[in-house]
Amino acid sequence: MEAYVLAGLVFGSIYAISALGLVLTYTSSRVLNFAHGAIAYSAAIFYYWLNHQEGWSIPAAGVMTVLVMCPLLGLFLWAVLFRRLTHAPPEVRFVSTVGLWVALPAATKLLFPFSKSEIFDAQGLIKSPPDIFDVLGINVNENQAAVLIAAVAVVVILTVVLRATPLGLATRGAVDSPRTARLSGINTSGITAGSWMVGTALAGFAGVLLTPILGLAEVQFTFLLVASLAAAVVGRLTSLPLTFAGAMLIGLLQGISVDILPDQGVLSTGVRPSIPFIVMLVSLLAYQGLRRERFEIDLRAGPAESEVPAIERPRGWRAAVGPGLLVIALFSVPLLVDDFWIGVVSQGVALAVLFLTFTLVTGEGGMLSLCQATLAGVGAFSAAQLALDHGWPVGIAVLAGALIAIPIGLLIAALSLRLGDVYLALATLAFALLVENLVFAREDYTNFGSGVEIARPVFLGIDFNDRTNWYLALAVIFCVAALAVVTLRRGTSGLVFASMRSSETAAATTGIGIVRTKLLLFAASAFVAGIGGALFAITIGRATVTSFNVLVGIVWLAIVVTWGVRSALGALLAGIIIAVIPQQLNLLLVMIVLFTALGFLARLVLTREIRKWWGALLSVVIVVVAVLGMKALADVEVDDSWAEVPTLLFGLGAVGLARQPRGVIFDAVNRIRLRAMKREAPVPSSTAEVVP
Amino acid sequence: MTDARTPIAGAPPDAPVADELLGTTDVTVRFGGVVALDTVSLSVPPRSVVGLVGPNGAGKTTMFGVLSGLLQPRSGRVRLAGIDVTRSSPQKRARLGLARTFQRLELFGELTVREHLVVAHRVRQGRDRQFWRDLVGLGRQPSPGEDDAVDALLELLGLGAVANRPVVMLPLGTGRLVEVGRALASEPRVVLLDEPTSGLGSHETEQLAATLRAVRDERDVSIVLVEHDVELVLSLADSVTVLDFGRVIASGPPQHIRSDPAVQAAYLGGATETQEPGDA
Repeated sequence: MEAYVLAGLVFGSIYAISALGLVLTYTSSRVLNFAHGAIAYSAAIFYYWLNHQEGWSIPAAGVMTVLVMCPLLGLFLWAVLFRRLTHAPPEVRFVSTVGLWVALPAATKLLFPFSKSEIFDAQGLIKSPPDIFDVLGINVNENQAAVLIAAVAVVVILTVVLRATPLGLATRGAVDSPRTARLSGINTSGITAGSWMVGTALAGFAGVLLTPILGLAEVQFTFLLVASLAAAVVGRLTSLPLTFAGAMLIGLLQGISVDILPDQGVLSTGVRPSIPFIVMLVSLLAYQGLRRERFEIDLRAGPAESEVPAIERPRGWRAAVGPGLLVIALFSVPLLVDDFWIGVVSQGVALAVLFLTFTLVTGEGGMLSLCQATLAGVGAFSAAQLALDHGWPVGIAVLAGALIAIPIGLLIAALSLRLGDVYLALATLAFALLVENLVFAREDYTNFGSGVEIARPVFLGIDFNDRTNWYLALAVIFCVAALAVVTLRRGTSGLVFASMRSSETAAATTGIGIVRTKLLLFAASAFVAGIGGALFAITIGRATVTSFNVLVGIVWLAIVVTWGVRSALGALLAGIIIAVIPQQLNLLLVMIVLFTALGFLARLVLTREIRKWWGALLSVVIVVVAVLGMKALADVEVDDSWAEVPTLLFGLGAVGLARQPRGVIFDAVNRIRLRAMKREAPVPSSTAEVVP
Repeated sequence: MTDARTPIAGAPPDAPVADELLGTTDVTVRFGGVVALDTVSLSVPPRSVVGLVGPNGAGKTTMFGVLSGLLQPRSGRVRLAGIDVTRSSPQKRARLGLARTFQRLELFGELTVREHLVVAHRVRQGRDRQFWRDLVGLGRQPSPGEDDAVDALLELLGLGAVANRPVVMLPLGTGRLVEVGRALASEPRVVLLDEPTSGLGSHETEQLAATLRAVRDERDVSIVLVEHDVELVLSLADSVTVLDFGRVIASGPPQHIRSDPAVQAAYLGGATETQEPGDA
């Protein structure tokens, strides 16, 4: 028993170090950093590289990683990203850090190719094997002792600095009222930058400490992130001592549970991720009474962004041109490509249906849910089991699976929504990890990695085992679902969603039921996720755990945000690209050339320069160069070392485009229009007094 | 709802004040150690303008928070249309006929001016709850009378010219008018206006005052007005309540308030304080 308690305390200490960094950065900038675990991962890889590959000594590599590289990374991220996020709307804040969570490990794997496979021989900050000594009859090894001492030291130092020094006073002042603090001569930027450096260093420290215990795999750092988030929730995202206590509690419970629970089966693997979730849930329920706070915080929310005047929506027949062309393109795919590519694009269209779940919950609802992939998995597994084990017709099974996803989505949303968006993101992440490890990890789902089979239906005499038939069915389903989403947005509901996103306070006092509206959106998004998940499973022939895990889900979110989280076109492009690019990586290069060329052409058209002789000539040159370039690039051999590039780009895309919910194309067009407008006339809005 | 304009008829016989649309009894609010409101009682009769004035930090905006349901009082009661709404949500109060504006603008950044009014009007009709109707494409149809009602309000507030502009491009004062429009579009029985004239020029302020009188008389709406411009309040209000440090220091018709020594002391005492216009 004592050994398990000790092991638990060691885990708790690592969680504590990580969680304290999380709370520190949150309190100093109101940005909850979902990339915290990814930072820990990158730091651990960096340390491993220095220590194992470059032969640095343990102290040198440790100091270099935790005290040099991490603070510099923190400073860099603060300067280019976090600094701008403090006054951004909540969903922008979340999505940006989620994008970073996607991009950072991808960048790490690109820089350190060895990290693509899991590493088991990593060593900690103490030489291995460590010495073991006896404390009160318990065997403690040096590694464990070092971790325990480090955690206590971190919490004591942080608390003392914040409570009892002038620097701490300045920090607390800068957190409570940045404006007043600035007026009293406090360098608030310096303080926030400093907290990000310390916070990042703590993440890295936790990462380096965790490595020898659990090995160096990305998923372990997701556990670390979730445990740290749960501890931070215990501390209500502000209190350092409570966060420390929460982290220790989670570690202890995990340690003890290993002793009590059976060694084999889903309970032993599922318990680690479920304890943070349970702790978080209990805290959320305990804090329910505090929900009124939200409005006080909202009253201090930052100013709205002013943007370029919207493109006037085409009316009448013109309005049908864009969607019409899109539908024609979608349905002509089977005429243009061979059977293999029909299969690939089918996966993309199935994912596009799934991605409409993000369009609803994040695009329309402005909520960051990190369990949409899990809900899709619920739909897929339910449908597969109903069809396989109970002999239900596939169509009915898909609908039933999606209906099963609804109450599950509603439950998690109902528990966390009232506390505000930040807790929704936390709870959905913890929940996703819980389901992944406790439910999806069951043998009847994993089936030794091959998943649950789901056959394609034969319906109305049409055999959907034929790839073209199935593709066309998916295209029809996507069009119907996209039409439903667009119709909803254009109606009163769309106005209500937009109101709620801009100002919950004003929406509530106008009579809009905020919680009711959000639950409705959540239910709809769970249904769509369930349908999309089942369709994807049917397309690849089986529902597998790896299709719907947490990390896959965040990559999905990042790519949907890149292509437009508020548009059906964005969902479609995201789905097709995520399916097609891994099949042929140089298509990514082709795409970059294509979009760059289109961007230049659009600029020439919008500035009307194309009507001049040199404009016309230039456009011809662009077309020729682009076509030749794309042809050449299509033949380039691209090896596996490029595999992380798309993920990196989509992660960065989400970071950069979180502010532009209509995606990269819309953003580019808008920028070009703005330039064109500036060239033609001074910007009209700058003469008027702008609403703060 | 039987007769929306005579809510007192349905009130329990022991309702504290007979002729009252909105009222509080002994409301107390504390933020940490600070007493923001200390046993404040207020009563708004139908078809009246009640002014709420006081120096900065007197508790006016806190009072609006309590009235609209964004803040829970530590103790005391809030009544709306004869119903105890102390624990009711903001949306329930809105559906009972309460609307408000915000000192720090709370506009819907993605909507045009007209859409602000449309959404408020439709929510009042319960159309925000007609999800299925929206899903089959009927959500774009205006409600019966919606176009007329919205156009009339736009004209009343002089917002016709900017009706289809997104609100993010508008000047501050116009933004305030949009908030007034949104509040009125929900066809309320009582409107809380938090500093509606800050950011407006003197000519616009006069226009707004005239508009507010017209709203009270023609639309049968009661108004609770928080204003820094004390002269405006005194000229517009049927009764005025003066707050200082969270306490009511005077209450009564404007002419009495003007000569009240306690009020003069509070204002002279607070005169050294610089007022932050708009707090933007």
